[in-house]
Amino acid sequence: MPVRAKPFSAFLQLSEEKKIMNLQTLFLEQTKNTPKVHADPATGLFTIDGDSYPENSYDFFAPVFEWVEQFLTETGKKLVMHLQIAYMNTSSVKAMMDLFDMMEDAFGSGKKVEVVWFYDPRNERVIEMVEEFMEDCTFPFEIEAR
Amino acid sequence: MQSINLLMLRQELNDKNILLCFNGPISSGLIQELGDALKNHLQTESTEPSLAMDVFGVFIELTQNIRHYAGRLGYSDAVSSATVVVAQHSNGYQVMAGNIVEPEDGQKLVQRINDLADMDKAALKAAFKKQLREPRAEDSASGAGLGLIDISRKSSVPLSCSLTDAGQGKAFLSILATI
Repeated sequence: MPVRAKPFSAFLQLSEEKKIMNLQTLFLEQTKNTPKVHADPATGLFTIDGDSYPENSYDFFAPVFEWVEQFLTETGKKLVMHLQIAYMNTSSVKAMMDLFDMMEDAFGSGKKVEVVWFYDPRNERVIEMVEEFMEDCTFPFEIEAR
Repeated sequence: MQSINLLMLRQELNDKNILLCFNGPISSGLIQELGDALKNHLQTESTEPSLAMDVFGVFIELTQNIRHYAGRLGYSDAVSSATVVVAQHSNGYQVMAGNIVEPEDGQKLVQRINDLADMDKAALKAAFKKQLREPRAEDSASGAGLGLIDISRKSSVPLSCSLTDAGQGKAFLSILATI
C-alpha cells in the first residue's frame, strides 16, 4: 500500500515555541579584527561590539545573516540590535548595509525591528558613518553616546 | 666581510618623517600587526581620534586592496609583495602603497583614481552609496570597489597615483593618500 505523503501544511503547523527552539544562541568571540557577536533567540537582543575589518567580511557576517534571517522569518518577536562598532572596513560596511536591508524588508512586511548604535562622543566619524546608514532605513534607528 | 650602514636609510626615513615603512610579501597577519603599530603610534602622538581612525582606515583599505588583487590573480608571494609607507605630513599624514599589477588593470585604476579626483565630497558620497548598492559578485571577497571611494572621502586632497613599467610584462602602481 502506498504511503501517503504527509501534507505540506503539517510542516508549517509547528508551534511557535518549537520553531524558536531550533534557533540557537549565536556567540562569536571578539578577535583583533572582528567584533564580539551575541544573539539571544529568547529575548531577540542582538549585540555586535568591537571594530570590524576582516579581509573577507562576508565569511564573518555569514552566520549573522543566517541567524537574523531565521529569527525574522520563524519568530514573531521583535529584533533589537545593539551595535557598538567604531571602525569598519568597506567590506564590513557593505555587509552591514545588506543586514539593514534585510531588516528593512522585514519591517516593511510588519515585523518589529529596532537598531541602537552606541558611540564614543570623542569620535564624531562614527556619527557620520551611522547617519549614512540611517538615511537608507525607515525602521526605528537611534544613535546614542556611551 | 660585507659592510652595512643603515644610518643613511635611517636618516632618509627620519628626514621624510616616515613613521612606518614596509616592503615585502604582505599577509593578513602582517597587515594586522602593522595596523596595530600604526594605531599605537597615532595614540602616543595624541592624534585626534577621528583623524587617527581615518589614517588607519586608509592604511587598511589600501593594503587589503593589494591582498585582494594579488589573491584574485593568483600572484606568487614575490609578485604580491607590497610597498607601504606612512609619513607625517604638515598637520596630517600621508599613506602610500605600491604593488605589481597587470598593465591594463593599472591603466583602469589610474583612470578610476583620476575620475575620483575630480569629484567633490557630495559626488564622492553619492558614488559610495551607488557602489554600496551594486550586487556583490559571488566570488568577490572584497568591498567590491568601495575602497578607493572610501579612501578619497577620507583624504584632504585628491589621491595621486603613478604607473610605471616594472618589466616582465608587469607594471607598478603607486597610490598616495593625504589625510
